[in-house]
Amino acid sequence: MFKENPSINIRDISYSIDGKYLLNKTRLKISGNGITVVLGANGAGKTIFLKLLSGLLKAGNGEIKTGSKDFSFRNSAMVSQEPIILRRSVMSNILFVLNKVQPHQKIMASELIDTLGLSGKNNQSALTLSAGEKQRLSLARALITQPRILLLDEPTANIEPTSTIYIEKVLAKKSSSGTKIFFVTHDINQAKRLANDIIYVENGKVLEYTNSSVFFKKPITVNAQKYISGIISDAQTNN
Amino acid sequence: MGQITESFLEAFILILSLDTELFEILYLSFEITIVAVIISSIIGIPIGTILACTRFYFRKAIISIFFSLMGLPPVVVGLFVYLIFSRSGTLGWLGLLYSPTVMIIAQVIIITPIICCLTFQTIESLYLKYREFFLSFHIGKVKAIRAYIFDSRFELVTVILAGFGRSISEVGAIIIVGGNIDHLTRVMTTAIALETSKGNLSLAMGLGIILLLIAVFVNATMIFIKNKFLNPSDQGL
Repeated sequence: MFKENPSINIRDISYSIDGKYLLNKTRLKISGNGITVVLGANGAGKTIFLKLLSGLLKAGNGEIKTGSKDFSFRNSAMVSQEPIILRRSVMSNILFVLNKVQPHQKIMASELIDTLGLSGKNNQSALTLSAGEKQRLSLARALITQPRILLLDEPTANIEPTSTIYIEKVLAKKSSSGTKIFFVTHDINQAKRLANDIIYVENGKVLEYTNSSVFFKKPITVNAQKYISGIISDAQTNN
Repeated sequence: MGQITESFLEAFILILSLDTELFEILYLSFEITIVAVIISSIIGIPIGTILACTRFYFRKAIISIFFSLMGLPPVVVGLFVYLIFSRSGTLGWLGLLYSPTVMIIAQVIIITPIICCLTFQTIESLYLKYREFFLSFHIGKVKAIRAYIFDSRFELVTVILAGFGRSISEVGAIIIVGGNIDHLTRVMTTAIALETSKGNLSLAMGLGIILLLIAVFVNATMIFIKNKFLNPSDQGL
């Protein structure tokens, strides 16, 4: 069932290390629904942006407001590019993030395992899974907390297509049921498939925030145009 | 060469005949070592864990002190414990000098820093790996610490075995505080030293073989645990 979420207001957040701004005076009003894909070259500030949203990093100044107590980043979960897998079974990995495991959560964990194509691996040591399976497990672990906001930092980088398909399917389903998703990727085609709107970041600055179809049809900035067409390389943007 | 072969043969006869004196020494060695390792683990593992996953003032200084204590010369520890527990020492009234208890105390002083530092290194590598994940899921400190210990359980077994290996082969400190008294404080290492000086090479050799076998067994177990349960790519090693 679709839930209408309030929008997310980002007011002038900045993040710097040793005086160097990795994200500078970012001001955005992001839709509280759908999938927002964050695009940009390596070192552009995408991960910093995601970590600031999740609260893993504290902004030097500015604020992030979600307009509702229930729909907040306190109720978010993050999936990173390199999944952190605990040295225990697949099921234990999923249940670990819960405070007190209720019987219905065990059922939910089993369902997530099945949905993400890990059937029959409940009691298998999670360390023996393939890279793609580990990433799927990481997503299942995030979903068991029933987050209102899901933050994913290049979750499909370096994994096999099967896992990517599973992950994309689950994300599309979650998004349509009201979970706000932020998704960082380098894959333009994946962004086209998933995104409702796009944030384009370059050198620590958000250059664009537009509807996905508009962005891919006619990006406002020249830099975004170049990025889409593959002209901007990581080296160029970093310098 | 003939004397070595003869001693070897006599040593094996002693072992196979379950010689009472030899097994009395063996029993006391294990008793002292195991108790010392248990006490050191109870002290060292929590301290190492706290140092690895908390941040406070003087933390680095405390870590440096523990690492320095790893290199404590056992004879100095023995002398220090002797002075404390000798009749004129601070704790002389306890009358513990030349008893297994004081030998355990000396062992604990020697191996606690080893267990603490190895635990610190093990837990810290997991802490650095898990920290962000735990933060993002709002995992509490107690649950996190339990996870660090649980997930490094196999490494911690090897840490304890390392402490055991160090403890069972200790001689310098325990000969000073234990006095190498027959039927009371004589352990494998002190007995080897004494029997060699007396020329009783068969008993010394017998004990030496057993000590060597224990060392081999401990190391083999450590290697087995590492190979069987620990995947280097998952440890960030």
